[in-house]
Amino acid sequence: MNAPDRYERFVVPEGIKKVSYERDTKIMNAASFTIEREDHTIGNIVRMQLHRDENVLFAGYKLPHPLQYKIIVRIHTTVQSSPMQAYNQAINDLDKELDHLRNAFEAEVARHSRDY
Amino acid sequence: MDGASYQRFPKIKIREMKDDYVKFELRETDASMANALRRVMLVEVPTIAIDLVEIEVNSSVLNDEFISHRLGLIPLTSERAMNMRFSRDCDACDGDGQCEFCSVEFHLRAKCMTDQTLDVTSKDLISSDHTVVPVDFSDSAGFDSSEQRGIIIVKLRRGQELRLRAIARKGIGKDHAKWSPAATVTFMYEPEILINEDLMESLTLDEKRSFVESSPTKVFDINPHTHQVTVVDAEAYTYDEEVLKKAESMGKPGLVEICPKEDSFIFTVESTGVIKASQLVLNAIDILKRKLDAVRLSEDTVEADDQFGELGAHMRGG
Repeated sequence: MNAPDRYERFVVPEGIKKVSYERDTKIMNAASFTIEREDHTIGNIVRMQLHRDENVLFAGYKLPHPLQYKIIVRIHTTVQSSPMQAYNQAINDLDKELDHLRNAFEAEVARHSRDY
Repeated sequence: MDGASYQRFPKIKIREMKDDYVKFELRETDASMANALRRVMLVEVPTIAIDLVEIEVNSSVLNDEFISHRLGLIPLTSERAMNMRFSRDCDACDGDGQCEFCSVEFHLRAKCMTDQTLDVTSKDLISSDHTVVPVDFSDSAGFDSSEQRGIIIVKLRRGQELRLRAIARKGIGKDHAKWSPAATVTFMYEPEILINEDLMESLTLDEKRSFVESSPTKVFDINPHTHQVTVVDAEAYTYDEEVLKKAESMGKPGLVEICPKEDSFIFTVESTGVIKASQLVLNAIDILKRKLDAVRLSEDTVEADDQFGELGAHMRGG
């Protein structure tokens, strides 16, 4: 009767930002990004991509509670970079990787349907 | 952006491809990407399924809710789904099925007039859109194509009747599993199996046989002429470690060494038939790209932080 709507798991409510950014008040170049209505799918690929960046000293994500549909990504970088720069870079790199993956898969599908 | 790029260039090789099945190798990327693709294929690639049912007459043995639930689970061809709107974001209608952008209407009329039971199947659903119809499994399952075989919804006896209107909508598996386009999606690390030949040669033929047989799947075999143990199918290995335990119990630890290649994956994707398996993979890549686009920082967040940065620098300087 009072069950929340199912779509609340993946639709960002009005007036709430998809991504919010909060700087760490004590440590230089450290910040948390709160991403609404996302889970391990995004959290884990962003985290692993950030680990490839040598200016990133720490990158981690958590899903605070299974019924709170958000993740928190925490990034700590060297002075050569900033959490925001590292985050943007990670997303751009993943985006390009997926572009490459799409082209590679399409080429394989074309090759496969021609050969068989 | 002045930062260096840490982009990867994954490789793909398709091994087997059928309409509802594809097996491929994914290389030079990591488990997070493989798992993200798997998760997106399961619950985030949209399909079309019946979501609203208006029952006019139902004198069958099944109650209205039961029939509605069964209708929801019928797979509908969903090539259109990627270009359709979700009815909750559709501004052309209120999601009542009158709108071509977000819904497809179905009608079903069946009445049993004979003494023989009448099977009401998915074939009795009349669609308003010829691109969105119940999936036809007749030839793939090996049935005679002349035989009319759909998915049975309910059986009627003499005098019973079922008449209803149903509205199919676009949705994703996260909302309800009826919208999931994937039957199974799995990936495994490609195993690398190395046999220590010197140690292996110290075994008798019987010991070799019992070693080969200790694997529950056929990974190793013995060459009938040279009596050499060889790897016939590394991928049949299920990481059960039975052969390692066997080697240990024979007092020959290190007889074989098995390690998963951490950047190579073997994917198997099975679709429910609503879209082609290859299309499912492509759609998953598109959806994942869209998701990444959505989590980019918005302009005002960046601006707010720039001001904060100036203020911070000012405070540190003063």
